[in-house]
Parts: sequence; C-alpha cells; structure tokens
Amino acid sequence: MINAQDEHRRTKEIILTGFGGQGIILAGRILGEAAALGDHRESTFIQSYGPESRGGACSAQVIVSDDIIHYPYVKHPDILICMSQVGYEKFIGTMKPNGILLIDQDLVHPRSKKQDFFSIPATRMAEELGHKMMANIIMLGFLTAVTKVVSLSAAQKAVSKSVPEGTKEINIHAFNRGCDYGQAKLKGRAKKAIGQTGAIL
Amino acid sequence: MNNFNIILFACNWGPHTAFQTLQDNGAEIPPEVKMVRIPCTGRISKALLFKAFEMGADGVVLAGCRPGACRYGSGTDIAEKNTEDTREILELLDLKKERLRFATFFPDDSDALLKFLNDFCNEIRLLGPSPVVATRKSDLKNSNKKQGLNKKEVAEVISIHDIYACQDCGKCTSACPLALMGKPFSPRMIASSIIAGDIDSPSVKENIWACLTCGLCYDRCPSAVNFPEFIRDIRRLLRKSHLEGHETHGGFFQSLMRTLTSPKLKTKHWEWLPADIRWDPQSKVLFFGGCAPYFDIFFRNHLGVQTSNALSDSLRLLNFFDIKPAILQDERCCGHDLLWSGDQENFLKLAKLNVSAIHRRGIEEVITTCPECYRTLKHDYARYGVEINFKVTHIYELLEREIDKGAVGFKKIDKKLTFQDSCRLSRLEQQADWPRNLISRLKPDQFREMQDSGSAAICCGNCAWTGCDSFSKALQVKRLRQAHDTESDILVTSCPKCQIHLRCAMEDPFLGEELNITMMDLTSIIAKTICWE
Ligand code: SF4
Ligand code: SF4
Ligand code: SF4
Repeated sequence: MINAQDEHRRTKEIILTGFGGQGIILAGRILGEAAALGDHRESTFIQSYGPESRGGACSAQVIVSDDIIHYPYVKHPDILICMSQVGYEKFIGTMKPNGILLIDQDLVHPRSKKQDFFSIPATRMAEELGHKMMANIIMLGFLTAVTKVVSLSAAQKAVSKSVPEGTKEINIHAFNRGCDYGQAKLKGRAKKAIGQTGAIL
Repeated sequence: MNNFNIILFACNWGPHTAFQTLQDNGAEIPPEVKMVRIPCTGRISKALLFKAFEMGADGVVLAGCRPGACRYGSGTDIAEKNTEDTREILELLDLKKERLRFATFFPDDSDALLKFLNDFCNEIRLLGPSPVVATRKSDLKNSNKKQGLNKKEVAEVISIHDIYACQDCGKCTSACPLALMGKPFSPRMIASSIIAGDIDSPSVKENIWACLTCGLCYDRCPSAVNFPEFIRDIRRLLRKSHLEGHETHGGFFQSLMRTLTSPKLKTKHWEWLPADIRWDPQSKVLFFGGCAPYFDIFFRNHLGVQTSNALSDSLRLLNFFDIKPAILQDERCCGHDLLWSGDQENFLKLAKLNVSAIHRRGIEEVITTCPECYRTLKHDYARYGVEINFKVTHIYELLEREIDKGAVGFKKIDKKLTFQDSCRLSRLEQQADWPRNLISRLKPDQFREMQDSGSAAICCGNCAWTGCDSFSKALQVKRLRQAHDTESDILVTSCPKCQIHLRCAMEDPFLGEELNITMMDLTSIIAKTICWE
C-alpha cells in the first residue's frame, strides 16, 4: 500500500501536446516553474521543437518530483495533456496504464471507448473570454484542479510571472476558469459515482 | 376569572340556541368564553378565524350545525374546510392547531355544548396563553390620536419622491396596465391631485389601493418619478390615519404577517421540507425561503398551487452544487407585503426580528429565490434603517456562477416554454437578464417570449394582497392570452405570487379551459433537467 507521504514524494511525468501556436511550450514551462519555485520541489522541462513548431504537432515534457531527477526525458507519461488530435495519436500509446488523460474536447476525440479521460472545451472557453491564445492557461488551470500535480497558489504565481505585463489579470482569470471547470468535473464525477447525476434524487 | 381569551363563533341556528339555553338556565359557562353570534359558519372565512388569533385569542371555536342540518346547505362543509386550512397554518406557525376547533350542535345539545366548552378551555389552559402580541390593540390606540391626514407628512412624501418633477406628459398613464384595461385610473391624475391637496378625495383614496406598484410607469417616465414608491408612502400615511387598505382575501395575509411580528412566536417554517434535502445549521450561507408554504395551504382547496416547490427545488439545486445552507427554523415573513400595503410599523418589526436572527447566526450570505424577499432584504431593510451585515444573493446569480464553471449539462425538455417576468426582479431590480441567461442554457423544444417581456412585461395582476378587482382579472386574462399566443406548453415563472394570481384567473368558469396553461417555477425546471456531464 502506498501511504500519503509516498504518494506525495512520487515522481510525476507529464507530456503536454498540441500544435504550434497553442502555447503548449509555455504551459509546460509554467508547470515546471510552479513545481520548482512555488512548491519547492524538483522539476525538469524539455521542449520539443523542430519541424513541428510551425503549426504541426509539438510537445513539452515535464517531470515533477521530490527527489533529484536524473533523466529529463519522458517515455511513459503519468499525465498526458492533448490539445490536438495529432498529438493524441502520437502519444496515447506511450501513456502508463493508469495514466491520466486530459483533452480539449472540441479538438481531440479519443479512439478507445475504454480509455478514461478528463475533457474541457478549453479553446472554446478561451474564445468566449475573447482571447483564443489563452486556451493553454485554461488547460493549465484544469490540469492543476484535476491532477493536483502542483499546488493552486504555485500555479497561479507561475502564471502571473510568465505572461506579458498587463495581461496578468485576464490570464489569472483564464486559469481560474479552467480550475473551476476541473473542480466542477471532479464534483460531478464524485456525484455520479454515488448515483447522483441530477438535482432531484 | 382568568386571563384567557376564547372566542366562540356560534351559528344562529343550532349552537346559538343551545348557548342561549345554557345562559337561561344559569349554567356555569367558562368565563373566558366570549360568544359571537354569526349567521352561518360558512361565512366565517379563514381571514376571520385567523383575525381572532391576531387580536390575541388563545383559542377559537367555530360552532355550527350538524352536516345536513345547515340552513343554507353548504355552510358546514365550507366551515370544515376553512377550519382545517387555518388549523394547518396555525401549526406551521407553531401556534398549535389545537387552539382552533370546529364542532356541530343541534339546538337542544346544550349539555354537549357546555361539556365541549369546558373541555376546550381546559385544553387551552394546558397549552398556555398564545404567544401572539395582539397588534391590533396598539393600532386602535394610535388611530384615536391621529385623526385625518397630516398635511406636512404628505408634503414631505411629495418632496422626497420629487413628484413636482412630473411634466404632466401622461406617458405613465398610457403605460399603466390598469389604465390600459379600461380602469378609470391614472397615475398622473393621482399625482396631480395629491400635489393639489386633494388627497382626501374619494377617487384618490380608492385608487391609491389599486396600483400594482409594478413600476411600468416609472420605467417610462421621462422625469423618473418613482410612482410605486410614492404610492407606497402615501399608503403608509393613509393607514396611519386609520384608513383601512383594500386588502384581498379579507386581509388574511396581512393578519398572518402582523402575527409573525410577535417575538415569542417560534414558527415551524420548514417542517414540510422533503427528507432528501440537506442543510447545515453551522453554515454561514443561509437560504431564506419566504411565505410560499403558507400560500400553498391557504389556496390548496381553491387554486391548488404548489409554490413551495420553488423553495425545495432551490435547495436541491444548492445541494447539487454541494452547498448545504443553513435555514431559519423559525423564519418569518420578510415584510414585503406589509411595506407595500402601507404598514411600515409592522414591516419594521419583521425586518428587525429577521435581521437579528440572521446576525445571531453569523450568516455571511443570504440566498433567496422569491424576488420579493430578494428586493426587500437587499434594499428595503437598509433603506428603512435596519442595517444588514450580510450579502444578499438571488439564486439565479448563484446558479449562473456555478453552471458557468462548467461540467454541467441539461437534459432535453420536450416542451415549449415562455416566461413570466416578476416585477420585483425584472423591473424594480432591473435584472430581466438573470432568468433569461439561465433559460438560454436549457434545452426545450422552443423558447418564445410573450408580446410584452423583460422590463416591459405585464405583471400578474396583484401586489401585496391589495386592491384586486375585475380589472386585475382582465389584466391576467390578457397576460395569459399572450402566453397562449406563444404556443407554449409551460409558462415558466420566477415568483410564487405570479403563479397564484395567474392561476386564479384560470379558475374563471367561463374562460377557464381557454386560459389554462401549466406553470412551473424556473428553479423547478432547472432542478428537473440539470445533470453532471
Ligand atoms: S410619465 Fe412622469 S412626467 Fe409624465 S405624467 Fe407621468 S409622472 Fe408625470
Ligand atoms: S405602478 Fe403599475 S399599476 Fe401602478 S400606476 Fe404605475 S404602471 Fe400603473
Ligand atoms: S388574483 Fe386571485 S389570488 Fe390573487 S389577490 Fe386577486 S383574488 Fe387573490
């Protein structure tokens, strides 16, 4: 049995993927920073550019741990965040058996019916906010709420440090939207698990 | 002799004869019994039964003729129903239903009557005196002192509401739904008569009580003359000078609300709450329900409305979002209807009792679903000097906030919907968008607005249980026809009173079927269809 302490010390390997321009790399960097600077844990961050960076598939790899990380590349992620179908196709096979899959529900359609996942219309929500490029920050909020891989305050701090001056407020708002959505999702899941889907029981 | 007050309403035919026999024979009738001779028990309305309690009765007996022996046929039947309804309301108030009894006697039943009275008086002595402070006594004393209207006070009301700003343009009258229904009624004329010092004229006195305080005139007035509030304050002055208001239902509801000003009265306001609803006495968020439970009992034999569904479904929606609010077990009326029918003195008593009960529990936020409670708690308490240190939130605001977080969906409704605005929320509070934003999330077959909607909507035809007449009825008929014109299956409402007053028009024996439409509170529709995605 794993006790809470071990669970906490455990290493989490994360891949974020999408297409260029979505801010995947920035999201990965913020995540790594939140873990290291905010939560005072170890973290590594690898960005994968190359031919993919101009609109093709791109990805970021982040490891968060309480122990020193010896190898920064992620082969089998514990958490996979997909913001494009191509990215999903490319990485889904590498995910650990009990890995957590997070997707943008309008951009990714999981093939396997068996695969459990958490979905959010991050891009649509960003459009509603009037800032389509903030889908990554919304996704980051969602990730924080659902996986708790970094603490809320660390993530918020890292977001406001990493975004351009003057856009802090709106970015934090976007982050909170994703976070609220994640919390609502978890609440809904817990309710469904005990058979309470609606308001009238 | 003791200090108990027991009223015996004795029907002229059977019981009164029996009572007279007792008197003639010098029988020892318990001294606390005060007999009131009445023509027929069927004429003793719920308002009259209840008024006795408002005036400080510890027990009331309605004594009539045996079923079948009623001189007028249906008296006994009606009396039984009225007694049953009033008993249930006494129970909800925790005044105890045992304080009111219906009994029947033949003219020669004098011994049975005496035994009944003795037993009843014993029972009341065991229950103890009624906790109600007889509000009427102080009213009467005051009215003796103040004869006629105080001109200075009238002038003050005129200047507070800046009635002089009126340009005599007549827009108000052409917007007023009562005037449009053909009632010889004009807000502009009332205003100018009062300015001219004609407040005592019969037409002004009459018309003051007819206004629906719906605010349509205010909405249209280029000089922003706040006519509803002006009317409200003039009503206060008229009442102070012992002039009665034109209360509907014999003033039952005003009686009920005044009774609720008795500090010692602890109600059982939430006793009826379904068992699936969760609440938490420690919560710093309070759900304030309003008077719907009383309305449902009062109207159960006539209109059959179930307006408390809006309260239980609101609570279910809070539970859905994992909010377990506190509730005031002894919640009192918010006082809206007393305020708007001119009884400021008793409104203030209710306001103070409610606010101190809420403060005592350290409540930070109060959630309401009734638009009248919302308006009254949020603005009118402070405006009349009862400061509040909690936030007031309408359930629509809260639902919007929670649903907007996401992960929540709505099941399809195979029905076409239209919406009845509440004057308090859509006009006085200018929040016509709140219900509409929620409706736009639902998945009905169709949603179509009525011809007059939003801030231009026509009201349900009555406000504060005052001045209901044939023009109110005509107005309701017009509104229901507008609803039918949208070809909807359900008229969605947001105020319990809209359901009551509109249902009343549907009872019209000549038009009934034509006007009939299902009504459902918006919170109930949401509660039925909301689901986690
Ligand atoms: S709309 Fe206003 S200004 Fe015009 S008559 Fe009415 S109260 Fe006077
Ligand atoms: S408040 Fe409504 S009913 Fe009263 S005068 Fe104005 S429009 Fe007419
Ligand atoms: S509309 Fe009907 S229920 Fe409403 S006040 Fe008038 S009579 Fe009473």
